Amino acid sequence: MLQAAVAGLISGGAYALLGVCVVLLYRMVGVLNLAQAAVGVFGTYVMLVVYGLGWGVWTGVLLGLMAGALIGALLGSIMSKWFSEAPLQTRSSVTIAMLIALLTIGLRVFGSDLRPAPDLFGNSSLEAFGVVIPTGAIVVIALAALLAFGIGRFLQRTKVGTWLRALSERPTAAELLGIPAQALTVGVWAVAGAISSIAVMLILPTRTPDFTVLTLLILPAMAAALVGVFKSFGITIVGGLSIGLIEGLTSSIGSIAPFRQIIWFAVMLLALLYAQRKEVWDAAR
Amino acid sequence: MKASGKLGIAITLGAGLLFGIASVQAQDKGPIKVGFIGGQSGPFTQIEPAKIVKAYFERINANGGIQGRKLEFYSEDDQTNPGLASQGARRLVDDIGVVANVGSASALECSVNGAYYVQKGLVSIQGTGVDPICFKNANISAVNTGPFTATTLILQYAAKQLNKNKICAFFAQLPGLEPAYREAVIEFEENSGKKVVVQDYSYTPGSDPTPLVLKAKQVGCEATLFAGSDAFAISWMNAVKTQNLLKASTWMFIGSTYTEAFAKVMGSSANGSVVASEFEPYLGQGKALADWSDLSAKNGIGKTSFSLGSYLAAEIFVNTIKTIKGEISRESVTAAFKSMKPYKTPLMGTPFTFGSAASHRSNQSVKILEIRDGAYRLAYPGWIKLESKK
Repeated sequence: MLQAAVAGLISGGAYALLGVCVVLLYRMVGVLNLAQAAVGVFGTYVMLVVYGLGWGVWTGVLLGLMAGALIGALLGSIMSKWFSEAPLQTRSSVTIAMLIALLTIGLRVFGSDLRPAPDLFGNSSLEAFGVVIPTGAIVVIALAALLAFGIGRFLQRTKVGTWLRALSERPTAAELLGIPAQALTVGVWAVAGAISSIAVMLILPTRTPDFTVLTLLILPAMAAALVGVFKSFGITIVGGLSIGLIEGLTSSIGSIAPFRQIIWFAVMLLALLYAQRKEVWDAAR
Repeated sequence: MKASGKLGIAITLGAGLLFGIASVQAQDKGPIKVGFIGGQSGPFTQIEPAKIVKAYFERINANGGIQGRKLEFYSEDDQTNPGLASQGARRLVDDIGVVANVGSASALECSVNGAYYVQKGLVSIQGTGVDPICFKNANISAVNTGPFTATTLILQYAAKQLNKNKICAFFAQLPGLEPAYREAVIEFEENSGKKVVVQDYSYTPGSDPTPLVLKAKQVGCEATLFAGSDAFAISWMNAVKTQNLLKASTWMFIGSTYTEAFAKVMGSSANGSVVASEFEPYLGQGKALADWSDLSAKNGIGKTSFSLGSYLAAEIFVNTIKTIKGEISRESVTAAFKSMKPYKTPLMGTPFTFGSAASHRSNQSVKILEIRDGAYRLAYPGWIKLESKK
């Protein structure tokens, strides 16, 4: 049972990382990005192609991250150029178009053939108290924790962080004060693109190497972001990890095991109910 | 004016009708039209089967055709979409008027069109049948073993040849396949007298198989079947490797996992795992493959197990209609298949049959291969054939 729960940690860590990207974009540039996982999958496939050419895993990872950042930046510049004044709903709908575009282009460019997926840590694992902990799980959790802590610090302590906060609170006022709004927006998108590429690369060995299937990772990531009410990076990470843990845990309980892949839905529902707990019915509607 | 207009229309219609009848009569001695339905784009894409059947027919035509008539090949892409599969069949049968379907390789075509073929008196010699109806229809006979019989066979191999007692089976969730897989497991249990310890249908495409691999370990499965595509099997074996369980069980897979990509991607990390091949292993050097390899190479067609199945279907079709004495039409072709003698071929472990039974399951054999350092080699010299208790 414990082993099954631990096995869910890699997934949980990846959900958490993707969830952080979603929250980052939501908070900083006001977009609910449904294409976030797709950007990561794109970066990951670049890594696979480079690896397939025999250029080595880490060159692949580097180029993959750059590709993820580049695609993120491209989407960000589209968003800031044409939709900077549009309301949240419109911008979020635009990300659906981006998702479809990325899926189509991805399948065209990379095809549906299977590619060898390197495990960044050689499928290695540690054993403690009779439980196998994959190295990948440790890395992904450490990365998530570091990120949550780092982003918080960055926003509080640095000048760019202050600009970003200003931009998210009062975009027009910030721009009038001379803050480089467009460059910042594109930057945030690029960072999110790179982070989601890492997340997908880490989860890849445990999943079916398929472009479309991997893109659906956005669903548990959204659930994690919802747990953090699209605000707190720390709680989002806890949310993502919990979804992974619950997924792992439920797999060892026969009667509910077949439903473990939709656990994120239950989590979303509970998070919503909890978030709305103090609302008066009429007002909440 | 009006009257003459009507007359004009009548004459035109009449002429058209006559012309139509004339052209039908002219077609009688025209080409022999043959149909094919398969996923040539979309989620289950196999482009080779249609190409190999076409190449096979072109070679026959170059040598003078059959009864002096050329074979004309019509292929329909169903995109693994039931609507398109149904439209495709109607186009082939009603509009084009094919005499039979040959070599079809589709994930759902049999379920969609089986009843229609019976109604129209058309036979389909399926190259690759996946869904259960491919093996339960009077007018369809598939040359491949199919996932269900292959499941029974590989479980039988584990019980008999490997002498394993704790045998487990995990199946990827695909719509409509579970009942047939359950039947396959029951057939194994009845034939062998052994029980399958764990039967699990909870793996959904794309999910992390680690929990299931752990379940197999927990139960102590000595031999574990995972029935799914090669892509799913890759993530399955990755989980096995991460959990250090490669030696904990004999990991087994059916024909859908027997691809070049699977062995290549796994490298040495799946050493000792076994897969079932539904024909003479297409990646091997068997003599029986020579002509198929040659035809593939000459026409630049990639070699896949699906292509081999369709090639075999084309060969069986041509050799069967050659026995027809009179005119080759849909009726005579159907009659020829319904009364054909078992067709022996070195590509299959059991002879291909059609006959007048209500269902056909002619290929009841597999060859077992073992993965070693990114390549396959024979794990057992002969065919594993279905051993029924009766």
